[in-house]
Amino acid sequence: MKLLIIEDDRSLCTAISDYLKMEGHICEIAQNYRQAINKAADNRYDCIILDIGLPDGNGLDIIRELKANKSTDGILILSARSSLDDKLTGLKIGADDYLTKPFHFAEMSARINSIYRRNNQLGLNVISFNEIKVNTSDNQAYVNDTMLNLTRKEYDLLVFFVTNRNRIITKESIVEHLWGDEVILTDSFDFVYTHVKNLRKKIVKAGGKNYIKCIYGFGYKFLDS
Amino acid sequence: MIAGAVLLYFTIRRIVYKQIDNSLITEMEIIQDQIVQTDTIPDFAVSFGHQIEVRLLNDPLSELKVINDTIVSDTITGENLPFRYLYYKGNTDQNKGYTIRILQTLSEKKELLEDISLFLFFLFLSLFLISILLNYLISRRLWNPFNVTVSNAEKFNIQSDKPIELPETNIKEFQQLNTVFNQMTRKMRNDYLNLKEYNENAAHEIQTPLAIIQSKLEILMQRKELKKESINLIKSINEATARLFKLNQGLLLISKIENLYFREEKEVSLKQIIGNSIIQYKEIMHLKKITVETEANDPAIVRMNQTLAEVLISNLISNAVRYNIDGGFIKCCINKGFLTITNSGTPLKTDPELLFRRFHKISENPQSVGLGLSIVKKIADTYKMIITYTCSGNIHELRLDYNLEMVPRSTVKSET
Repeated sequence: MKLLIIEDDRSLCTAISDYLKMEGHICEIAQNYRQAINKAADNRYDCIILDIGLPDGNGLDIIRELKANKSTDGILILSARSSLDDKLTGLKIGADDYLTKPFHFAEMSARINSIYRRNNQLGLNVISFNEIKVNTSDNQAYVNDTMLNLTRKEYDLLVFFVTNRNRIITKESIVEHLWGDEVILTDSFDFVYTHVKNLRKKIVKAGGKNYIKCIYGFGYKFLDS
Repeated sequence: MIAGAVLLYFTIRRIVYKQIDNSLITEMEIIQDQIVQTDTIPDFAVSFGHQIEVRLLNDPLSELKVINDTIVSDTITGENLPFRYLYYKGNTDQNKGYTIRILQTLSEKKELLEDISLFLFFLFLSLFLISILLNYLISRRLWNPFNVTVSNAEKFNIQSDKPIELPETNIKEFQQLNTVFNQMTRKMRNDYLNLKEYNENAAHEIQTPLAIIQSKLEILMQRKELKKESINLIKSINEATARLFKLNQGLLLISKIENLYFREEKEVSLKQIIGNSIIQYKEIMHLKKITVETEANDPAIVRMNQTLAEVLISNLISNAVRYNIDGGFIKCCINKGFLTITNSGTPLKTDPELLFRRFHKISENPQSVGLGLSIVKKIADTYKMIITYTCSGNIHELRLDYNLEMVPRSTVKSET
């Protein structure tokens, strides 16, 4: 994918850029309103990662500008303000998704992929990893065409793993992905373990291989060993 | 004033006496003239109140003149009456001695004196009383603005938007007082607001560096050539960062509540929110094999901010789940005016008094940040609700009196 990262904090900007580059994407950066507008005007991107707290102009205006120019680039908003107003406004004026700082990069990755899938589908939308296929249009997962009977959380977990393949995913990022802000539980790692266990069991039972590796100290990695 | 009265009395007395003395002397001189010139005693009318006694002698006498008070007994009534007398001893030209004694009654004069004195005394007394009364009334009116200012200063609440109300006055000193008070309270309030804003901004600013730390850590984690030692270090840093994040979130929430971010209110049903919350935690409860029971006797409608209501209930339910045992239970009882959440769990090791204090941690779990219940308390305080915790053995109960007016009197507990 070709991505544009609009973020005024240099450290964070390079961190995001480096991470996404590691995933194989092409990344361009803009560190203020001006640069952002210029880049967005000149190029097409699969997804724009935008921090709305820019120093010289409200990031929301960038969104308005983009939409005024009929841009079809995906937009993921990043914000330190967990203000509901900003969130709603952003989504209303055309952003695809919203993430509050600080966030797990695996989460960001998942959302970017999700936006990409939504914007680039012309029919069925399937993510596949070897024998595992996930159909995001009907929210079903298959192993060699056998449908898996997954709970909502298990399905979300599988999608999260597959989109973040070959990366170490921390337990914390899984917790945040599965439960988000709704639920406040600091010691939910047991639950993560349980879900992972159940998911693994179901995949294996349907004939799939176990790609979920437990990484000591951090979490898990979904990969083909 | 008393000294004045006394002085007045004696002055009047002196005047009266002087008048009597003068008439005594005048009479004496008339008699003297006659004796000296004619050697005879004049005729004079005599009454009881006015006695004259003159004697002519043959031998000379030494000269003497005395004017003084005396007491004479009335032979008929036996009363002792005051008189003023003049006694004179002198000689004629022929060296014959003669005495003159004139007595003048003082009774009337004395009565007059007493009446005047009494009248004056009462006059002064009433003047005195009136002046005290006037003084009191005037001073009360005078000090009224001061008293109002003092009482309003006592009522001043730094947390409220209302500026201190000070009465209008045209007394310069009180105007000064009011000005100073106004300035002082305004400055206090500004400082307080600035401090709150600073807290919120600080918590806010922390988020970006936190995001950076987390991001770098995630990148670091992906490195393939990590040794076990490095992994452990990164793990610790990660955990600490996660805690910091949660802590910051909690503080940010609290400061936002204080800064009235969640001002918008509407009628929310706590019953509904509890229901939703239970659904959200259903899966986790299932994993821990916890049974849930809800008894709703009232929709529990409260006028408050929706988000805060959800945070409040979510924290309570979360605690009920987290500190529960495997196979335990949770029971929610929603009544008119109050609701209770009871759950089984491990016995509490800490002082219930401290439970709602910021950063007080219930468990030794390093992940626990200790803000959950203080957030609950903050929200409860904002809407004048009372939250109480009781524990008997292994059963914990949290009670929220969400509408004190509706609670039946006998069941109201006092705030901890």
